Amino acid sequence: MATLTDEQVDFIARVIRHHGIRLQDLQDNLLDHICILVEQGLDQGGSFEEVLAKVFRSCYRKELYELEEEALFLSSVKGPRLVLSRGKFFRLVFGVLLAPYVLYFLLALLHWLPVAYDIAPMVIFRWTLVGCLWPLLSLAVIYFTPERLDPLIPRHSKVLLGGGSLIRVFRFEASLV
Amino acid sequence: MVYSTELLKGTLKTIVLKLLADNKKMYGYEITQKVKEITGDKIQITEGALYPTLHALEADKLVTTEVEYIGKRVRKYYSLSAAGKVRTKEKINELTSFIQTMTLLLELKPKSI
Repeated sequence: MATLTDEQVDFIARVIRHHGIRLQDLQDNLLDHICILVEQGLDQGGSFEEVLAKVFRSCYRKELYELEEEALFLSSVKGPRLVLSRGKFFRLVFGVLLAPYVLYFLLALLHWLPVAYDIAPMVIFRWTLVGCLWPLLSLAVIYFTPERLDPLIPRHSKVLLGGGSLIRVFRFEASLV
Repeated sequence: MVYSTELLKGTLKTIVLKLLADNKKMYGYEITQKVKEITGDKIQITEGALYPTLHALEADKLVTTEVEYIGKRVRKYYSLSAAGKVRTKEKINELTSFIQTMTLLLELKPKSI
């Protein structure tokens, strides 16, 4: 049976790292697995480069780093409670953080707020919610709703989620001033 | 007939745990070959499915590992931890019950008839 040289093994290890595999155990496992398949391929004929290209391509669907994403996803899911669906996440966030602001604007719209309450909450809304809270919420959405649960929306464009309604609220607030 | 990936996805952990229970310690390639051998090539576990699963089992402390150096490469052997042995029984019971339920469901008639 063919045996790979140290240089060939090093080369395969570099290719694995170059394709985005950073987890050491995944690197080790893939290296061993690919080496075995390449050695078997060499026994059946063909150059190292040809056999490696064929074996390497058989290890993934689109990109090799999918394996790392899958490994990280599987090891992060201890149970369904730790990963929230986007719907649940927004209901929770809305209930805890946004509902008081919405209530404030409804009261303002109906002119049911005492005059003294007009200015301060507006400033809080402008500089706390828009300036700090929303970016943090966007990061939380990215963290808590893995791509798996939301395959149609690219992961990093989730920062835009809810942006439209936020702008509308912001404009409404400006019109009140 | 080779079964679809979707069909296998929910059972992969159970398959790996059961193999480790029966074979004490195994490395990745060995697991893929054993599954092919036992199932007559009907189930072929890919690298893309196996290694993320092994990583998750290790993160959950259901397996322990030991390494063997083969020249410049490392071969990682997996074996069941104490928690893994308990979990294996649970997973097998769960899957057995699921298969019975599916059989019942696909026959489309009540068990008593």
